[in-house]
Amino acid sequence: MIAKLETDGQGGPTVRLFNGPPRPIEVSEEVPLEIHDLTVAYHKKPVLWGIDLSVPKGKLVGIVGPNGAGKSTLIKAVMGLVSLSSGWIKIFGLPYKTSRTRVGYVPQRESVDWDFPVNVMDVVLMGRYGHLGLIQRPTRADRDIARESLEKVKMLPFANRQIANLSGGQQQRVFLARALAQESDLYFMDEPFAGVDAATETAIVTLMQELKDRGKTLLVVHHDLPTARNYFDMLLLLNMRVVAFGPTEQVFTHDLLQATYGGRLTILSEVAHEVKQRAT
Amino acid sequence: MNDFIPHFDFQRVFLAPWTANNLESTAWIALMGFLVTAACGLVGNYLILRRMALVGDAISHSVLPGIAIAFLLSRSRSATAMFVGALAAGIVTTVIIEVIHHKTRVKQDSAIGIAFTTLFAIGVILVSLFAAKVDLDQECVLYGEIAFVPLGEFTSFAGIVLGPPSVVRMAIVTLATVLLIAVFYKELLVSSFDPGLAASLGINAVLVHYALMCWLSVVVVSAFEAVGAILVIAMLILPGATASLISQRLPVIMGLTVLHAALSSVLGIHLATWLECSTAAAMVIMASTLFGAAWIFSPTDGLLRRWLRKRLAEPAVEPTVQMPQNS
Amino acid sequence: MKTDVRTKSSALRFVCRWAALVLLLLGAPLCARADKIGDVSDINILDQAIRFFTFQDPAVRYALIGSMLLGITCGLLGSFLVVRKMALVGDALSHAVLPGVAAAFLWGIARDPAAPKDPLAILVGATIAGLLGTVFVGLIKQTTRLKEDTALGMVLATFFSVGVCLLTMIQRLPSGNKSGLDKFLFGQAAAISAADVQLMAIVTGVAIVVLLLFYKEFLVTSFDAGFARSAGFPTVLIQNALMMLLAFAVVIALQAVGVVLVSAMLITPAAAAYLLTDRMHLMLILAAVFGLVAGSVGAFLSFLGNHLPTGPFMVLGASAVFGGAFLFGPRHGVVARWWRQRSRARRVRRENTLKSIYHVLEQREFQGEGVSLNELAQRRRETIEEAKQQAIELQRYQFATLQEDGDTIFLTPEGWERACSIVRNHRLWELYLTNAANIAVDHVHDDAEKIEHVLGDEVVRQLEKRLDYATKDPHGRLIPSVSDLRKGQSPAERPAEAVGYGRRL
Repeated sequence: MIAKLETDGQGGPTVRLFNGPPRPIEVSEEVPLEIHDLTVAYHKKPVLWGIDLSVPKGKLVGIVGPNGAGKSTLIKAVMGLVSLSSGWIKIFGLPYKTSRTRVGYVPQRESVDWDFPVNVMDVVLMGRYGHLGLIQRPTRADRDIARESLEKVKMLPFANRQIANLSGGQQQRVFLARALAQESDLYFMDEPFAGVDAATETAIVTLMQELKDRGKTLLVVHHDLPTARNYFDMLLLLNMRVVAFGPTEQVFTHDLLQATYGGRLTILSEVAHEVKQRAT
Repeated sequence: MNDFIPHFDFQRVFLAPWTANNLESTAWIALMGFLVTAACGLVGNYLILRRMALVGDAISHSVLPGIAIAFLLSRSRSATAMFVGALAAGIVTTVIIEVIHHKTRVKQDSAIGIAFTTLFAIGVILVSLFAAKVDLDQECVLYGEIAFVPLGEFTSFAGIVLGPPSVVRMAIVTLATVLLIAVFYKELLVSSFDPGLAASLGINAVLVHYALMCWLSVVVVSAFEAVGAILVIAMLILPGATASLISQRLPVIMGLTVLHAALSSVLGIHLATWLECSTAAAMVIMASTLFGAAWIFSPTDGLLRRWLRKRLAEPAVEPTVQMPQNS
Repeated sequence: MKTDVRTKSSALRFVCRWAALVLLLLGAPLCARADKIGDVSDINILDQAIRFFTFQDPAVRYALIGSMLLGITCGLLGSFLVVRKMALVGDALSHAVLPGVAAAFLWGIARDPAAPKDPLAILVGATIAGLLGTVFVGLIKQTTRLKEDTALGMVLATFFSVGVCLLTMIQRLPSGNKSGLDKFLFGQAAAISAADVQLMAIVTGVAIVVLLLFYKEFLVTSFDAGFARSAGFPTVLIQNALMMLLAFAVVIALQAVGVVLVSAMLITPAAAAYLLTDRMHLMLILAAVFGLVAGSVGAFLSFLGNHLPTGPFMVLGASAVFGGAFLFGPRHGVVARWWRQRSRARRVRRENTLKSIYHVLEQREFQGEGVSLNELAQRRRETIEEAKQQAIELQRYQFATLQEDGDTIFLTPEGWERACSIVRNHRLWELYLTNAANIAVDHVHDDAEKIEHVLGDEVVRQLEKRLDYATKDPHGRLIPSVSDLRKGQSPAERPAEAVGYGRRL
């Protein structure tokens, strides 16, 4: 190992190169997520290819692309859930391991077994686990935070309900509450709108706006193009590579979407039509 | 320790079994081993395809109470009683699994675990309570008595002496298995691969499922005497798994399954002769060894092949799709 | 209510911790004294039962304590298998330990042919073999196209046959025949020695302590491994720790339950607990209790006969518990479900009768309040007898009163309102289907027949709004709206001189 990351006595992170003296490194509060030359492959087939990305603070970013474009994989790569073939990822200027308490994660709803014997409160409390020590148990303060998070997604009345007895939208809200309980600065959400009712969708959008207004950064995998334009400040068009990344109004153009989706989506023509209409 | 692993003597291990005195019994044992492995392996291929390998395990365990109860009720060891008992046990197991799985939130894996252990426990208790009456003992239940196959009266039909009754029975079952697969090849394939498509073609997937389970019980129960209730799972899965490492085409897999059966049965006899251990277990060990060989040396996807490809083809990652242009 | 929940869960935690401590303390003195295994032959059932319950015989004591300990450990760890859908991994693991047990025996024979059984050597050998088995399953899954079930089946069969091979080779040895190795196949609680109990107590203690300390970690990785990893939990390590503990549980259960059936002690009590509770910690406690009960029942039953294997009886005990939970569980039980279904069916029938009464009244334009049984029966296409039964049923729920001569039914205010709301649901839904879903008018009735009984107030209000508070259904009949009814025909708002619906007995 040539470079080693550690913490000095004062709590600031330092880097040690070639066993030299520890040097402080720049912790960038302004760049919550920075990705350089990221390549991820499953069974030698690349899923993500040479991703370079620098997400500014306090933005609501939508990750958009066709099926198999590597949207979920990108999030998983950042969270360290898949191994990287090349490149590096920094969260607030630090490796994920060091700054993971600042990251909140909302996985896809299908990724867990909803028959699992836990109730809503248990799931939301799990959001606090990352802040607890190895054998520490959630304290009263943690429970209060969990309760507040539930209140924010209007699920407090369901706190003692077993999670199987919730509707899809309610389940998604529970996941959201768990992410809120993580009290993070950077949130990753994997298709939070998949299979939820209209009311929940609105609630989620409102919540995202609120989080953004409080200076949090959100990256949200989204697959519905027409709504993507209204929901997000910035869009990341992804199809194995970064096709485009920038403010929504600049990125949401016919050519770029065409480049992202290829010619294969019928929905594309509808959207393009809408884009044209708005332009004229 | 020396008397634990007997000295390896080529003459004793490889030649003696096939010389005049032993030839007949060796041949019967090898034939029985081959028939059992081939029949089980052919049916097992469909279990593997349908991701039901462990349902096979469950059914092979639960035929025990079926046989025990059938013997107790009929007070005989007739083949009919045995098959009826096994069929009933197979259906009961399948039904229990379905009921637990569908009526509660217990998942299928737990349902399988609960169903077969319960039935097997009942079988073991019956066997240990009425060992004399059902003429089964715990060892036989565990790993069969394939070495005893050539002993006792031979079956004869129309004046012609055919062979030991269990071998004759197994041969009929194996032939029937081949025949059934040949006749219902299309139905089995479609319903295993795509139940939705099967339904649209008018194939009753539930019926195919139950029929497969019933036939599985028949195969398992005829193999029971030779390999017991637990090693059957090896015969069901290993040939098909080995074959599917080498080929991806079902007809080829079927052929390789039969080849695997023949090899593991003969090699198993030699291993058992050398180590002086249970013949059925030795056959399974050889079957596993063959699987290991296929795993490492398979021309399409073997470990060695993978390793070589990794060594030769750097960099490992190559874009395989035309990239959209960055703009 | 919030504080109630908090105190309840902290009380539970308190109980958990104390139970663990007491168990540890109990285990220690009981296994301190070592005696020879008692002679368990040629005694009749009653004597055996007495012997069992007086606990004078140390062999009985060891057998019982051992069975209880293994039940607790298996129940606790098996719970994680069940919720993680890994039940069959437990099965493979338990078969895979056999070569390890045989190797440990071999080592024992080489060391001391007179007493080849060394619990610690068996623990080590079996754990290594079991873990090796799970490693192979993982390797096969990663490097071939074979699916998990096939990999599990193969590893199970291969390891088991290697074990059987070794076993038959050991039994050939002069000292091997008496080694008691065969007891490991179907289990013999009577063969549990003081040293075994000691080891079992230690393993149980370790399992309980680890689960108490790392409950949070085990819970979050079992529920959502991706999230757990993102939050920085060493999920691979936790998974391995769980496998390790499972291997321990299997090994201490081997002696009494046997290799073949040990997976049942992992799966069945836990699955029974899974049917009864919605909280993981309660499930753990229940599974431990069920395991304990199954273990002691099995030990007792096998003790009654001569040379009966213990394992199958324990498994049957566990299966009986599962059967009980399956049938009589308060929420997921078959009986409870059947009961709920039945009461729902009866409610639907009641509501249909109310609806028919409404229809009869509507047909005569709400002239006259009483509906005769004859009219009702005609409307429902039933016999008078059946109509009368329904009328009595309605009366029981205070939806209607039956006239003294038993011939005419009058709705009560509650009954009237209920009838209106059912009809309203029905007609609103019909209208909604024809308007919004473009379904032909003659096709909407059947669907509405079902939906009318399940629409909640909230949905009805939304429907009304969506339909612009329409007053007529697609067949042109009036939709009884709440306000209209209150003003017009509803008994509460009708002039005092009107008689009929509203008369209460």
